[in-house]
Amino acid sequence: MVRKILSTRSPIKTLEKNIKGGLGPGHLGVFASRKGVGKTACLVQIALDRLFEEKPVIHVSYASRVDYIISWYEEIFKNLASRENLKSEMDIHDRIIRNRVILNFRQEGMKTEQVLKSIEALLGPGRFAARTIIVDGFNFYLPCAEDLALFKKFAADRQLEFWFSCSLKGEDPLFDENGVPFVLKDYLENIDIIITLEHDNGRVRLNLVKDHEQIFSKKLRLELDPQTLLLARVG
Amino acid sequence: MNRTLERMRNIGISAHIDSGKTTLTERILYYCKKIHRMHEVKGKEGGGATMDYMELERERGITITSATTNVTWNDHSINIIDTPGHVDFTIEVERSLRVLDGAILVLCSVGGVQSQTLTVDKQLKRYNVPTVAFINKLDRIGANPFKVKDQINDKLGRRAALLQVPVGLEDKFQGLVDLISMKAYYFDGPNGEIIREKEIPPELEDLAWQYREELLDTVSLFSDEVTEAILEDRVSEGLLLRAIRKGTISREFTPILMGSAYRNKGVQLLLDAVVNYLPDPSEVENIALDLDQQEKPVVLKADPSLPCVSYAFKLEEGPYGQLTYIRIYQGSLKKGDELFNTRSRQRFKVGRVVRMHADHMEDIEGAESGDIVALFGVDCASGDTICSPELNYAMTSIYVPEPVISLAIEAADKLSVDRLAKALARFTKEDPTFRMYIDPESRQTIIQGMGELHLDVYVERMRREYRVEVITGRPQVAYRETITARADFDYTHKKQTGGAGQFGRVIGYIEPFDGNYEFVNEVKGGHIPREFIPSCDKGFQSLLKKGQLIGSPIIGVRVVLTDGQFHPVDSSDIAFQMAAQGAFKQAYKKAKPQILEPIMRVVVETPSEFSGNVFGSLNQRRGIIISSIEDGLYSRIEAEVPLSEMFGYSTVLRSMTQGKAEFTMEFLKYGRLPNFLADQLMEEHRQKMESEQKK
Repeated sequence: MVRKILSTRSPIKTLEKNIKGGLGPGHLGVFASRKGVGKTACLVQIALDRLFEEKPVIHVSYASRVDYIISWYEEIFKNLASRENLKSEMDIHDRIIRNRVILNFRQEGMKTEQVLKSIEALLGPGRFAARTIIVDGFNFYLPCAEDLALFKKFAADRQLEFWFSCSLKGEDPLFDENGVPFVLKDYLENIDIIITLEHDNGRVRLNLVKDHEQIFSKKLRLELDPQTLLLARVG
Repeated sequence: MNRTLERMRNIGISAHIDSGKTTLTERILYYCKKIHRMHEVKGKEGGGATMDYMELERERGITITSATTNVTWNDHSINIIDTPGHVDFTIEVERSLRVLDGAILVLCSVGGVQSQTLTVDKQLKRYNVPTVAFINKLDRIGANPFKVKDQINDKLGRRAALLQVPVGLEDKFQGLVDLISMKAYYFDGPNGEIIREKEIPPELEDLAWQYREELLDTVSLFSDEVTEAILEDRVSEGLLLRAIRKGTISREFTPILMGSAYRNKGVQLLLDAVVNYLPDPSEVENIALDLDQQEKPVVLKADPSLPCVSYAFKLEEGPYGQLTYIRIYQGSLKKGDELFNTRSRQRFKVGRVVRMHADHMEDIEGAESGDIVALFGVDCASGDTICSPELNYAMTSIYVPEPVISLAIEAADKLSVDRLAKALARFTKEDPTFRMYIDPESRQTIIQGMGELHLDVYVERMRREYRVEVITGRPQVAYRETITARADFDYTHKKQTGGAGQFGRVIGYIEPFDGNYEFVNEVKGGHIPREFIPSCDKGFQSLLKKGQLIGSPIIGVRVVLTDGQFHPVDSSDIAFQMAAQGAFKQAYKKAKPQILEPIMRVVVETPSEFSGNVFGSLNQRRGIIISSIEDGLYSRIEAEVPLSEMFGYSTVLRSMTQGKAEFTMEFLKYGRLPNFLADQLMEEHRQKMESEQKK
């Protein structure tokens, strides 16, 4: 029911149309921007899109507290429910919780092998059939070529899609001439999709800078509403 | 600074079962001259250790209820609050931890940090209790205090360092080298009461200097003073002592001491450490809520001249009447003072004030802030705040959860009936999470509590302490019923049997509601006279106690009465009650009733290698995994699981994780019971009703 209502008009579907039908199993995607622009909001909406279709999602985070992540979901869900005028909101909410597991790690000293082992534990013996993994707060500023290779291999082996957030820091310029963040340039072979977020006249616009094999800068017809942090189509 | 306060300590001894806590307590009492002979745990000599005074505890070698006892060491008054280590006795643990200012964490030198150590360690951290660690049983085969020190750092995540190294280990364990004074200590005499100070044996010099260096390094991490002193090579004993004390109180550091309580070695040095490193009551901030000012937090001052604020943390029904253990946070009290219980709003006069020593007591005239004493004959519940009459404070109340499991019990023979009643009266007063009631229909006595083990322990205590043989039924989950749709009613109750008749008509609807029950009166024009409106409310409420699906209480209903009709002669209170009952029965079935079951918030702490199995086991139990927090070695998995699926989980978890994982659970909410289970319950209920009718 919810699936029908939301899927057809979901901005996530617009996003996926732009990237050849979606990220797809075996691939890694990244939302990159400076802190506080809206990466987590985008990740949570991708997760909610899957959850509305009753597809389980694992949300990996490196935050210090789990309640912070839960409140992100609550907030975005509340805004979505009111925008879409959802009926039997509580039922849907319950189902969402049922299909979402948050795995929280402390980044310092936490090895990617360990993160993947935990995901594996949840998928295997835990019988939690997630296909989408959200990874929020991974530090791309530490040397991580090997880690990304591990994520990529794991994604391919288990047929999963991984959506990351990448927090950009330091002085401008942060992007090369194609709009690719400098910090991600060394990892392009393992990252399939890169979307950057930028402020544009009080709105937050999304740019697609890597689409599988192609590297180019394309303004997506999507933006984040600064009030609700919900993705919406432009025009 | 108040000299009496400075010389006062309120401490707890927290430990894994079998780490030798009771023997250690026994030795402390002996060296502080509170007892004149030592016993061993498990009653080898028929005596049993002094703190462990309940028979059940004696038999199992564990401590369930917390007793408190006062000792004097080096001119310091130390109150020892005995804290239970077991996870299932939460309310006991929480109340004891609430009143102590510092703790000794006892570890076994062979077993080291075990899963239960993690639990007690977590409790200490939750209540911000400054701690010294004591590695016991150095005389045992396989003793390795250095390994245990590493575990305290790695597994418990504490910043800890050894303050001593052993002279010999296992059967060659003779004494200790103190790394602050750099002297060796031996414990002579039949009970180790004579302490002999010697130079460090030459073969241990290197080891001692190595661990002293480690100690200095660790302390320098939080003390700039010590860092400077190290650079200038002028670390004095006093400086180091002060730095360790400061670090321990701010919980940046855990000093590690060691010994063998059983062999009477090291206990006196541990007592020195309690005095030297653990805080006095004035060094701990305590907050009360001012009930006259919308519960505004007030910081209490450990000043005896201020009005009294104290907290009743434990009640005990002793042979001489009810004893109330209190911790005084502010002011003082003495015999004859008038005090005020801010919960029950009752004033009372202080009668006997006693200081407790396990199960014998000493009468005293009064006590001052910081102290822990017991009062006689005070009518109160545990968790109450007792103040001077001019104050209206409440210490932050400890959350008392609703019981989620019930068990029918009955005395096996007629002689036991009275004793059972006595036992129940005492237990319910001592523990607010343990409740009892008589089921009006089956006439059975039902006890309620927080989990299987919680009730098991009380059943066991009835047997042992009250010699009541009890027959128990199967544990029952406390289900509820609710409605999920609005349904209208229009019901007329009419009866004419000669004489005065009965007449009442009620019209309205019932609908789902976010609380337990609400009654709304929208009747206009006097169609139901005002005096009969409460009768309607009463009629509706009487049916909420037993739902029609499985006979469980109904929650989440709003009744809206919109109209009705009365008869000038035949309408009465009872007629409208009957009408309301008839109306509710009529509407309930149409309102799509459902059965709700208690959902528990379950937290499993497990070594990460087993997290997959734990995920699986929770999934199998209809659980929803909310999150898993990992810090490398351990995972903390949080889930929501129906209570009915949690019976026997501790056994399953133990076998699945080689006994290395633990779980806690508490009531979270009522959730919808899946249809297939609801059908099953309704069928059982129907059969039960049928068989009762046949009887």
